[in-house]
Amino acid sequence: MWRVWLLFDPRRALVGLFTFLLVLALTIHFILLSTNRFNWIEGPRPQAMITDTISSVV
Amino acid sequence: MAGTDMRDGSLTGLTENEAKEFHGIFVTSFIIFTVIAIVAHFLVWQWRPWLPGPRGYTQSMIDGVTSLATYFT
Repeated sequence: MWRVWLLFDPRRALVGLFTFLLVLALTIHFILLSTNRFNWIEGPRPQAMITDTISSVV
Repeated sequence: MAGTDMRDGSLTGLTENEAKEFHGIFVTSFIIFTVIAIVAHFLVWQWRPWLPGPRGYTQSMIDGVTSLATYFT
């Protein structure tokens, strides 16, 4: 496995990896923030609860 | 530095020892990162599971949790 560093330059590999992980992390966090259930800042929106209950009953 | 003298098969100019040394640190860092990620996911699951039952989350939280609990036990 260590031979990979004979093929890929460690410095560029690390920069690429960190950039990829950063973009992925930002994407996931913002996706979660945009949901009703997983928004850890404002929590579930009240009116969303009502519409959810209606939709679950209907 | 360029790959001109590639006799020893190293495209990056690293020697075998340098590659092994870097790899050791890389693997250790990867394991630490993964452990942190596992802990984080465990904590978030305690807060709010993210696999809804067949009728979503809002059907009834108790059903949802028990169905998920049985899913994992």
